[in-house]
Amino acid sequence: MGNTKKLAALFLSTLAVGSMLLASAGAADFPSKSITVLQGFKPGGGSDALAQLTQPFLEKAIGQTFVNQYIPGATGAIAWTQLTKQSKPDGYTISITNTPMLMTNYIMNKEITYNIEELTPIANVVTDPGIIVVSKDSPFQTVQDFMAAAKEKPGQLTVGNSGVGGDDFFTTLIVEKATGLKFQLVPFQGDGPSWQAAMGGKIDASFNNLGITFPQIKAGNLRALALFADERNPNIPDVPTLKEIGYDVQSGSSRGYSAPKGIPAEARDALIKAFQAMGTDPEFPKTAAERALTLDLKYGDDYAAYLKKQEAAFGQIWEEVKDQYKTN
Amino acid sequence: MIFDAIMTGFVGVMTPLNLILVAAGTAIGLFVGAMPGLSATMAIALLLPLTFPLPTASGLSLLASLYMGAMYGGSIAAILLRTPGTPAAAATVLDGYPMAQKGLAGKALGVSLVASFIGGLISSIALLTVAPILGQVALQFGPVELFAVAVLGLTIIASLSRGSTILGLLSGSIGVLLAMVGMDNITGTPRFTFGNINLFGGISFIVALIGLFSIPQAIRLIENKAVAERKTVVNSITDKMLPTWLEFRSMLTTIIRSSFIGIFTGIIPGTGGDTACWFGYNEAKRFSKEKDKFGTGHPEGVAAAEAANNAVVGGSLIPTISLGIPGSSSTAVLMGGLMVHGVMPGPTLMTEYADITYTLIWAVMLANFAVLGVGLLLTRMSIHVTRIKDTIMAPLIIVLCVIGSFSINNNIFDVVLMLGFGLLGYAMDRLKIPTAPLVVGLILGNLFNSSLHQSLLISHGSWMIFLTSPISAVLLAVALLSILQDTPVFRWLIRALKAAVGKGNKASGATE
Repeated sequence: MGNTKKLAALFLSTLAVGSMLLASAGAADFPSKSITVLQGFKPGGGSDALAQLTQPFLEKAIGQTFVNQYIPGATGAIAWTQLTKQSKPDGYTISITNTPMLMTNYIMNKEITYNIEELTPIANVVTDPGIIVVSKDSPFQTVQDFMAAAKEKPGQLTVGNSGVGGDDFFTTLIVEKATGLKFQLVPFQGDGPSWQAAMGGKIDASFNNLGITFPQIKAGNLRALALFADERNPNIPDVPTLKEIGYDVQSGSSRGYSAPKGIPAEARDALIKAFQAMGTDPEFPKTAAERALTLDLKYGDDYAAYLKKQEAAFGQIWEEVKDQYKTN
Repeated sequence: MIFDAIMTGFVGVMTPLNLILVAAGTAIGLFVGAMPGLSATMAIALLLPLTFPLPTASGLSLLASLYMGAMYGGSIAAILLRTPGTPAAAATVLDGYPMAQKGLAGKALGVSLVASFIGGLISSIALLTVAPILGQVALQFGPVELFAVAVLGLTIIASLSRGSTILGLLSGSIGVLLAMVGMDNITGTPRFTFGNINLFGGISFIVALIGLFSIPQAIRLIENKAVAERKTVVNSITDKMLPTWLEFRSMLTTIIRSSFIGIFTGIIPGTGGDTACWFGYNEAKRFSKEKDKFGTGHPEGVAAAEAANNAVVGGSLIPTISLGIPGSSSTAVLMGGLMVHGVMPGPTLMTEYADITYTLIWAVMLANFAVLGVGLLLTRMSIHVTRIKDTIMAPLIIVLCVIGSFSINNNIFDVVLMLGFGLLGYAMDRLKIPTAPLVVGLILGNLFNSSLHQSLLISHGSWMIFLTSPISAVLLAVALLSILQDTPVFRWLIRALKAAVGKGNKASGATE
């Protein structure tokens, strides 16, 4: 009898100590298992391109594998709702967060209930700057030509974008506001159909992204008029920024990684450290350049502040124009 | 210069590794295509990471042959189970399954195989020789022209309405209405979503298709109504697979016509195999002397749909390699694959990366022969599927449907949606409302809606834009003609014309 009790006590205490050890080990040695990455878009798209670029470097830095899970739908909202509402905040489930869709989804639709307060931003990785492109046969040789024509015929120039709520849609609204010009906005289903319509001369111009249109610009099929960035891009040194001609507009689509709110501090630190290791790896910028991705590394709090700033900007613009778009 | 590149590509593809990969890709494609719910696009996306260690050209050869294989594979399930394995095989069901019911399952599969082979081959030749010229066609299709394509496509509903035009139009309208569900592309307003974010992206076409075709079939098997039919199907293993020379010759015109339809539908961005099979089927019927036979197990119907969907493979690669514009959703994923391999898809594919590009084109060409070879082997075996007892087959189909619809977006909501469409399909079957028009409406409804809105934004509200674009004007005229063809007005016109001509002849005869 006594022996059994002793044995039982020993067994229990071993269990207790063991599990305590395990628990502490878990906290200190994040990650102890593979990390799931929720992707709100289809495989082979822009989100996936980011995953394929970063994950080999991240795996080297963090010593664990990343498992991508694709949950496309509602411009990413299904995956982000799952991340914020249903995923365990332990750092083992993170997501690729694309702006501005991450914010415009819930700014524009009250049915979408997550918001960036429910996230732990880890790091931004790339920002593809916005650009104005026209067909090679277009009468507009420079951005000044384009603006002059728009001034002459308000609301007549047809300008394509990648869809309502996307970065190019908001960029167009920001440019309209900054310049006082009016365009006829034509939303397409994605960046591709938008530049293709411009290249085929179906619309006057497309507000698009540098990384997406670069092959066509290089081949001379599309002419770039202006870039929405702080400074000129070395790939297209002759194309002015909008800032140079007097309008302070920076815009583009950014892609990074975020975790749900409330993950353990150790997990957050470990993840951020992995991204910093990736950022300092000399191979990383080379690989990114090969894939025409423009790096824009922002870690932790910086990324959070960036998201916050964008949320405020897009919220304000939408507040001003929503009556033209929303009927409900 | 181009000839050199063609030769380099040919030498490039003729390595043991590439040939094995082409054969393997085709076999995987056949299998994926035959499984309802597993689509070519999905399989390409899933296999993409596995190609990273391979040389770029070899990796892409694997994926392109998979695409080709899946286009034929879809017809296996369509013919044997009345369940299209891929959306591109939906039109194959119309004549393929009735053929199987008549005990001609082997023949149906053989016709499908030969038509797929020829369609694929013609499109590969077009891809190899005139891609740079044809690629420009893709740029000619903006919103205005796409609207005309959608209108022309919707007129197919009329010819699919066997028996009752009213019921066909009803079914087609339901399809177009269901296509309106989701966030509007132009205004961003969610429509008919009932606040459910799973519906914001609209109804997934594949999910609807799986439910509409497969679940009613499973229920039918459970009800055991099909017992008598099934007995004859089982005997079909003895029938000859490949069509005789005479049969082949009678279908050749249809196959070639469908091949060209497939190439052009492939080139147009935003339309792929799921649209081409209907266009091919419809035109075959339009030009046929035996219109009534379509839908009752007519081999030409199978040939028309299958030649068109395999021709889409080469067609959709034409703008992809000449301009960097994906011609279909599968080629869009393929383009993503190029980028990950460090090749920027764009106009430089045919110059800077000519060695990779032409190896890929030759791989597509060879994949056709692989389809023929692997197809003959695999199809013989797959006919044995019909030997499985109904009591096992029915639950098996339902399990496949559930897995298939879940795996598209990893979303359980899609499974519920699929079951809902299954019940709708069953109800429509019982009420003798044809489901094919609903499918056409669902495919084209969204294109119809957004291209109309975009066109009117571009024209600042003027409807004349549809007549000032030559492509759109011609397509709309053809659409008008097809509608008139199915109304009494057309017959009156023909009769009036004939009478007038007759009178004229008499009159001129009298004066002589």
